[in-house]
Amino acid sequence: MFKRKSKSSSNENQASMDSEDAGEAVSVPTVGADFIRMVSDAVHHTADLVVKPIPPNLTLIYIDNLVDTVTLNKHILEELLEQPIESPENIVSILSVPQVKFAQKNRESVEAMMDGCVLIHVEGYAQVVLALIPTPESRQVSAPENESQVIGAQIAFNESLSRNVSLIRRYIKNPSLCKEDLEVGKQSKTSIAMLYIKDVASDQMVTTLRQRIADLQIDSVLDSSILEQLIDDNSLSIFPQMLLTERPDKVSAEILNGKIAVIVDGSALAIISPHSFIEFFQSQEDQNLRWQTATFLRLLRFGAVVLSVFLTPLYVAALTFHYEVIPQTLLVPLSESRALVPFPPLLEALLIELIIELLREAGVRLPTKVGQTIGIVGGIVIGTAAVQAGITSNILIIIVALGALSSFTTPSYMMGNVIRIIRFPLILLAGLWGFYGIMLGFCFILVHLLRQTSLGSPYMAPFYPPRLIDWRDSIVRLPLPFTFKRPTNTRPEDEDKYKPEPVNPEKNEQKVK
Amino acid sequence: MKKSLQIRPSDTINAFLLFFIIHAAQIGIGIQGFQRIVYQDAKHDAWISVILAGLATHIIAIFMLKTLEIYGSNDLYGIHQDIFGKWIGNFFNIIYILYSSVSFFAVLRNYIDVVQSWVFPDLGTWFLAASLLLIIIYTFTGGLRVIVGMTFFSVVLSIGLFPMIAFPMKYMEPRNLLPILEANLGELLKGLKSMSFTIIGFEILYVIYPFVKDKENAKKHIHLGLFATSIIYLSIMLVTLTYFSGEQLTKTIWATLSLFSIVEFPFIERFEYIAVCFWMLIILPNLCLFIWSAFRGTRRLVNISAKKFVWIFSSIIFLVSLTFKTRFQINTFNDYFGQLAFYIIFIYPIILYFFATVKKKFKSRKEQVD
Repeated sequence: MFKRKSKSSSNENQASMDSEDAGEAVSVPTVGADFIRMVSDAVHHTADLVVKPIPPNLTLIYIDNLVDTVTLNKHILEELLEQPIESPENIVSILSVPQVKFAQKNRESVEAMMDGCVLIHVEGYAQVVLALIPTPESRQVSAPENESQVIGAQIAFNESLSRNVSLIRRYIKNPSLCKEDLEVGKQSKTSIAMLYIKDVASDQMVTTLRQRIADLQIDSVLDSSILEQLIDDNSLSIFPQMLLTERPDKVSAEILNGKIAVIVDGSALAIISPHSFIEFFQSQEDQNLRWQTATFLRLLRFGAVVLSVFLTPLYVAALTFHYEVIPQTLLVPLSESRALVPFPPLLEALLIELIIELLREAGVRLPTKVGQTIGIVGGIVIGTAAVQAGITSNILIIIVALGALSSFTTPSYMMGNVIRIIRFPLILLAGLWGFYGIMLGFCFILVHLLRQTSLGSPYMAPFYPPRLIDWRDSIVRLPLPFTFKRPTNTRPEDEDKYKPEPVNPEKNEQKVK
Repeated sequence: MKKSLQIRPSDTINAFLLFFIIHAAQIGIGIQGFQRIVYQDAKHDAWISVILAGLATHIIAIFMLKTLEIYGSNDLYGIHQDIFGKWIGNFFNIIYILYSSVSFFAVLRNYIDVVQSWVFPDLGTWFLAASLLLIIIYTFTGGLRVIVGMTFFSVVLSIGLFPMIAFPMKYMEPRNLLPILEANLGELLKGLKSMSFTIIGFEILYVIYPFVKDKENAKKHIHLGLFATSIIYLSIMLVTLTYFSGEQLTKTIWATLSLFSIVEFPFIERFEYIAVCFWMLIILPNLCLFIWSAFRGTRRLVNISAKKFVWIFSSIIFLVSLTFKTRFQINTFNDYFGQLAFYIIFIYPIILYFFATVKKKFKSRKEQVD
């Protein structure tokens, strides 16, 4: 039903766009006055349109806030005033601005103006010169804030598409690193770049992703997270099927694995696809650390996820239905701490979990410095007070805090959110049907995960379908000499990342001697 | 041969997944209480019956594989139609579909019974049946990939349960097994027959074989799967026989679960509560494979979509499961079903193989004459 609806509306859009095309696909008028009228009509006489005639035969038009005034004065106006201009070609040769080109059509020139071009019209010629001098970026690149790492590059994307692409190009200097430009959004006309390495990334996947982006019929894409929701395989699922990251080194590593990155202008997050479920829990730092440490940390992280999802439900189930499961020595402190609590375990757990979520949400919204303080104060005050007031038990506070702490260990914020939300239905199931309810929830999640795909490749890879060679870099990370293959999940055109070296080259050399 | 199945490459599975499929299809609900039934026939030599049953599965699997190899890439339903013609073949197909459906029902109803007896005496049959069926519907509509994925995770995640039988070994009395071979061959074979309810499931091979990508490796993984199952049954049987006294065992319906009940950790006691609930993960692939096998057969008879089929099938099963009320009814049903299963699984494949070879010889002779 939804599909049909969106189709009919898209047809209408198409029709209206066609009529616009007919009106604006006109050549640039040769007379300066006509050109000025045409441009100001096209932007509906907006107040920030600047028209600057330079006698005898030149007209400059630009949007005030989109062009860099310093460059305009120094490199365009000065040069144009110095000597008489005879033709557009003449302008190109004297301007000391790197990006200059011609436009013959009205529509093209107006669109370029909206990108930050100055239009220079020469009386008597049916073309304009476009000099691109956009206002400089407002923000410098900074250290990653949400995906911080101890060992590794301390640099994150910012909101400029060109800067972000250059950050990746600095890691991968191979000319085969392809950048495809796409444009999405009828109103916003957002530039989108697709990055992948030709001969490494699967052609089929590149085509699929390009098609998905090109097929979008939408007003605007203001952030890559919106684009991600629009182009992933199952947008109804709670699990994200593409990774959002702010780390250029992570993006480069994944591109080198044969994945495809998508960068949206105005967004500080890059999309990486295909990305399997297990990879959401892997941090780029795992590659930088020694393999034993990395493996330990990964196992810790996976343990934390399991703990975070199942600990509170297990508590609720055990205390509501299955006292027998708890050994007597543990049952005594449990029942002592719960002796004063008037609520059933389900209500108690939901209450505390909601308070923790509240604190967390408040911590995100509040300014950084206040947020931390409020978090600590809120945690301690509410925790202690709740226990003293007899609303909850001490042990539950420990369990809930442990669960909350564990959910922070997930490197991907999007996946961390899933972990934190998915607990609630499980708590409800546990409160209603005990262990049986938890098992129902677990089986449902497992089947759901098995049904998902990421850009057409299985979401539960490399576990199912089992690809033993990829297990080397999954919940464990074996030493680098063993992980020379690219993950099968990306269906890479070239499978080997590097030639497997002997595990310990120096020792082998000694043997040869 | 004609009517060989055309299967899209995306639907095929690797041969080594057959290990998980065969293993998961075999181990289901029977393992929870097969000891008592076998013990009634073979007494303390029941473990020999288990070994014999395990050997029998290997032999039957060889017959099944030979039959399937004659046809290259076709399932039991197609083979029936080829050997017996359309009408009689379809009659056999219906019998096999019914058998799959009844197996499905047997697993589901027994599991519900176990949950009610051990964990939730007050939880209605309708709720347990409905909740399980909904998950099965969700798995089934995902297609074969998801079903096989479930079997894979089921086997991998439940490996952890197996070492738990080490706990009762502290209290075992190996002399219970002596004297060996007190039962005669007839009693041992009777014990084997009683095993059939527990050990069936590997007949899924008949239906899943055409979906295997590298068929030349299939044999190895099938036998490995069967072997793993036999080892598990044998070790559980040995632990049971040495842990319980004979008198006690005849009164223990779910001996395996009783074994679990003495598992103890510093933070968990009465492990059987967890085991019974966790068993859902073990029976799910079982159920999904049975329903899938029934669907493949029904597809040959009538043109029906998977979605429609699974909803109709589930509603019927749901209604039927409500009609069984007492443990006694379920037990009687199990006994009858066990006997039926014995003939279908242990006798029929040999007959079918015989027919298939005769038909093949007949055909090749005819071709020579032509």
